[in-house]
Amino acid sequence: MLAGTACAHPRVGVTPSTGGAPREVSDESCLLSTGDVSGHAATITIGLTDSVDPRHAPLPRNDAERLVFRHLYERPIRIDCDGHAHPELADKWDREDGGRRWTFRLRDNAQFWDGVPLTAQDVVFGKGGAGYTLSAPENRVVAVALAKAQDDVPTALGDLGLAVTKPAPDSSWPIGTGTYWATSTTTSAKEIRAHTPRGDTLVFKLAASGDARDLLDAGVDLLVTRDRALRDYAATLQNHTVVALPWDRTYVYVTAEAGATRFDGLEQSVRVEARRAEGGFWWLDLKACGLGTQSAQASSPPVSTGQKRILYTRTDPTARELAGRLAALTHAVATGRAPDDFRDALGSGKDWGYVVALPRVTADVCRAAKDLLPTWPATFTALVDTRATAIVRRGVARWVVDQDGTVHLLPE
Amino acid sequence: MKFRTRLLIAFGVVVLIPLLVFGLGIRTAMSRRVAGEYGDRVNALVEVIQGDLTREEDRISGRLRAVKERMVADNHLRSAVLRGDDRTYILDFAGEAMRLAGLDFLQIQDGESRVVSSGHFRNEFDRVGAFALPGGVTLIRAATAEGPFLVLARPDTVRIAGQFFDLVGGIAVDSAYLARLAPDPQFGVALQVGSDSTLASSSDSAGYVVSKTPLPYVDAVDEPKSIKLAHIVVTNRLTLLAALQSNVNLWFAVAILVAALASLILAAWLSTRISEPVEARIGDMERRIAIGDLARQVNHDVKNGLAPLRNVFRHLTQVARDTPDELPQVFTERQGTVESSINYLETLAANYAKLSPVSERKSTDVNAVVRETIGGSTLVKAKLADQLPPVSADALVLRRIVENLVSNAVDSLDGKSGSVTVTTEQGRNLVRIAVSDTGRGMSKAELDRAFDDFYTTKTGGTGLGLSIVRRLVLDSSGSLNVQTEPGKGSTFIVEIPAQ
Repeated sequence: MLAGTACAHPRVGVTPSTGGAPREVSDESCLLSTGDVSGHAATITIGLTDSVDPRHAPLPRNDAERLVFRHLYERPIRIDCDGHAHPELADKWDREDGGRRWTFRLRDNAQFWDGVPLTAQDVVFGKGGAGYTLSAPENRVVAVALAKAQDDVPTALGDLGLAVTKPAPDSSWPIGTGTYWATSTTTSAKEIRAHTPRGDTLVFKLAASGDARDLLDAGVDLLVTRDRALRDYAATLQNHTVVALPWDRTYVYVTAEAGATRFDGLEQSVRVEARRAEGGFWWLDLKACGLGTQSAQASSPPVSTGQKRILYTRTDPTARELAGRLAALTHAVATGRAPDDFRDALGSGKDWGYVVALPRVTADVCRAAKDLLPTWPATFTALVDTRATAIVRRGVARWVVDQDGTVHLLPE
Repeated sequence: MKFRTRLLIAFGVVVLIPLLVFGLGIRTAMSRRVAGEYGDRVNALVEVIQGDLTREEDRISGRLRAVKERMVADNHLRSAVLRGDDRTYILDFAGEAMRLAGLDFLQIQDGESRVVSSGHFRNEFDRVGAFALPGGVTLIRAATAEGPFLVLARPDTVRIAGQFFDLVGGIAVDSAYLARLAPDPQFGVALQVGSDSTLASSSDSAGYVVSKTPLPYVDAVDEPKSIKLAHIVVTNRLTLLAALQSNVNLWFAVAILVAALASLILAAWLSTRISEPVEARIGDMERRIAIGDLARQVNHDVKNGLAPLRNVFRHLTQVARDTPDELPQVFTERQGTVESSINYLETLAANYAKLSPVSERKSTDVNAVVRETIGGSTLVKAKLADQLPPVSADALVLRRIVENLVSNAVDSLDGKSGSVTVTTEQGRNLVRIAVSDTGRGMSKAELDRAFDDFYTTKTGGTGLGLSIVRRLVLDSSGSLNVQTEPGKGSTFIVEIPAQ
C-alpha cells in the first residue's frame, strides 16, 4: 500500500502572501495521509537510518540530519511542499518599496533554548546572500533588501542557511530556537532525545544493528527511507502507512567534457525509487547569483589525467550505483570518496567526472550553488530524480512535508 | 732453509692435500644431496599448488551448477524473463546468486552475448558482446565499477523459458589468493601474460621459476575479443637452499681448518722427532769431515816439513858414501835447510797445540794484559778505561785473544799507513775490549767464513786465528762481535763478564 502526499510538485519563489500579516495558508495539502489523529502523544519516536553529527547543524548532510535539525532549528519562514511561505521565527511580514524591501517581524515568544530572547541581530549577523542583503532595523525586525523587486515573499528567508543557532558551551549541539531542544546529555550512540518545555519528547532512534526493519518492528512512529526493500517490508505492516515523498533529489553528472551526454538505463541502475530527471533545473541559470553560465564560472581549467575516473560520495549508495553505470557506459572507473574528500575533489575538478546529488529545489539558489557546485567550467547532465518514502504509524501525529522534502511534525 | 722446516712443509703437503681432496669430495656430495632433497620438496609443493588449482576449478563448476539450478527453479526470474515485467529482479539476480554461491564473479548473458545481469558489476547490463570465452577455466581481467580485477572463471549454459543464457562464474584471483596457494614464504605464485607482464603476484620479490602452467587469458576490459595465453608461474626464492649450502660451506671450512691445524701440529711434532737425531748425525759428520780435513792438512804440512829433511839426508848419505871428505863442508852448507825445516815443524806443532789450550780462570786485570800484549809498539794505540773491574779469565787465554786480534788488525793494514787501536771499557757487569783497525775490512762473504777453521786470506796464514779466538772467548763465557766494512776497517769486540 503506497499513499502519496497531496502536494503538487514543489515550486520555487511562489507565495500567496504579498504583505501585511501573512495570509492564512493551510498545510493540509502538504500533510501526509496517515489517518485521523485523535489524541496528543507526549512521546513520538522517529527512526533514523543514517548517523547524525551535531557539528553539522543547522546544515544537514544526509536525510537523518535533515529530519533531526528540522525539529531543532528554525528559519524566519518555512516553505511548504507547494512553495507557500509559513510563519516560523517571523509571524508577519511586509512588502515595501514596490517589492524591493521586505520586513519580517519576529514572533513575540521567539527565544533560544537557554531563555535568551531572540533579536533581529541574531538572525542577520553574518548572513546574507547573492541578490539580497539582510539588516536589523529594529530589535525584532529583520529587513531584506532585494536587488530586484519581487511580488512574492522572498523564499531565501526559508533557506536552511538562515536557521538561527548559537554555540553551546557545554554541548555539541548548537543552541537553537525550535520547540524541541537537545544537548549532549540527551544524546547517546543509540538515540537522540529532544524535549519541549511542556514535557513532550521526540526520540530519534538509530538502527543499532544496521537493519532498519528492526526500527519498524520496535514501533517507531516515523521512518524516512530511500530503501525500496524497507519500503516493501513496511507495506506489509498493518499499523503503518507508506507515503511517497516528493521528488527531492536530482543526481547530476558533472564533467569538464563539453556537450551534454545522454545515458540510458539509469533508473534501473539504482535501487532507490528513481525516474528520469525532469524539470527546469535551478543550476542551469545562475546569472542572478553573479555566477552566470557555466563558462563564466571558470576560475581555472580542470585537468583530467590518466585513467578516466568518475568520483562519487562513498556514503551515498545511489551515487555509487550511478557512477558504476556511467563507468560501464563510458569505460571509466568509479571511485568512492568520503564526503569531505569528494567536496575537495569536486572543487579541484581534476577527475574525469563526478556524480553529485543536488536538491531538486532550494530556497536560496545562490547559496546552494556556492555550496554544492564547482567553480570550474563544467557540463551538468541530470541523471535521475529520486525521492524518499515516509513510513508513518497511523493515528499518532500529523506530519507535514516542506518544499525541500523534509518531513516534520505539523506545528501546533 | 733448515732441514726441520723442509720436513715440516713436506709433512704438511702430504697430509693437507689428501685432506682437502677428501673434504671437497664430502662437500660436493653434501651439496648435491641438499639440492636434491630441496628439489624434491619444490616438486611436491608445485604439485600441491597445481592440485589446489584443480580443486578450485572443480569448486567453481559446482557453484555454477548451483546457480544454474537456482535460476531454473526461480519462478520470479522465469516470469521476468518471459514477460519482462520486473527487470530490476533480473538485474539484481546475479548479485544475489553470486553471493549465495560464494563466487566473486558472475555474469549472465543472453543468446546475443548481451549482459543481462552481472553480480560483480550490477550496472554493466546491456553491454553487448562482453568478451570471447573458450571452454574450460579461463583467466579473465574483468571490469567492475571500481576498476578491473582478475578472476579464474569458467562458462556454463542454462535454459529458462525456452531461452538460453550463458553463465560465466569465477573467483577473484589477487595477491592474497595467490599467497594462500603458496603459504611457504620460499615460494611465490604469479600470473603472467607473455614473458614479463605480471598480472598478479603473491609477493613482490622475484625468484627462480620452477613451474609454468598455461591457461587461456581474456582481457575483457581492453581486448575483449582476443584470447591469449597466461601462465601460473611458481617461483622459488632459493634463499633456504642458499642458506643450507652456506651452512655446509661454513662447516666444511671449519672442518678443514681444524684438520689442517691438527695435521700441522702433528707434522711439526713428527719433524722434530725425526730431525733431531738426523741433525745430530749431520753435526757428527761435519765434525768428522773437519777432523779429516785437519788430518789431511797436518799430513800435508808435516810432509812439507819432512821433504827438505829427507832431501838433505839423502844428499848427506850420498856425499858420505861417495866423497866422505866433503861431508863437513856439505853438512855446513845444508845445515840452514835442516834448521829451517825443524823450525817450521816446531811452529806447526805450536800452532796445532793452540787449537786445544787448557785455561785456568782467575781474577785478571784486562788493562794489564793489553799493555803486556802491545808492549812498546808504536803502531798500536791503547785507550784503556780507568778503574776497570777485573774479569774471571785465564790471563794467558786473554793474552792470546788480544794477541791474535791485534796481529790480524796489523796484518789488515797490508803495510800501508793506518792505525790499530785497542780500547777497554766497562759495560753492565762486563768488560769490553775492542780492537779496531783502519785496514781493508771484510766483505760479507769473508765475514761469513772468517771464523771457520783454516780459512785465511793472508799469504802464509794458517786460518786458525779467529777460529781459536772465538773458541777462547766462548770458553771464557764471553761474546765476540765484529763490525766491518770493506776498505774502511774492522772492529772486533770482545765482552768478558766482570768478576
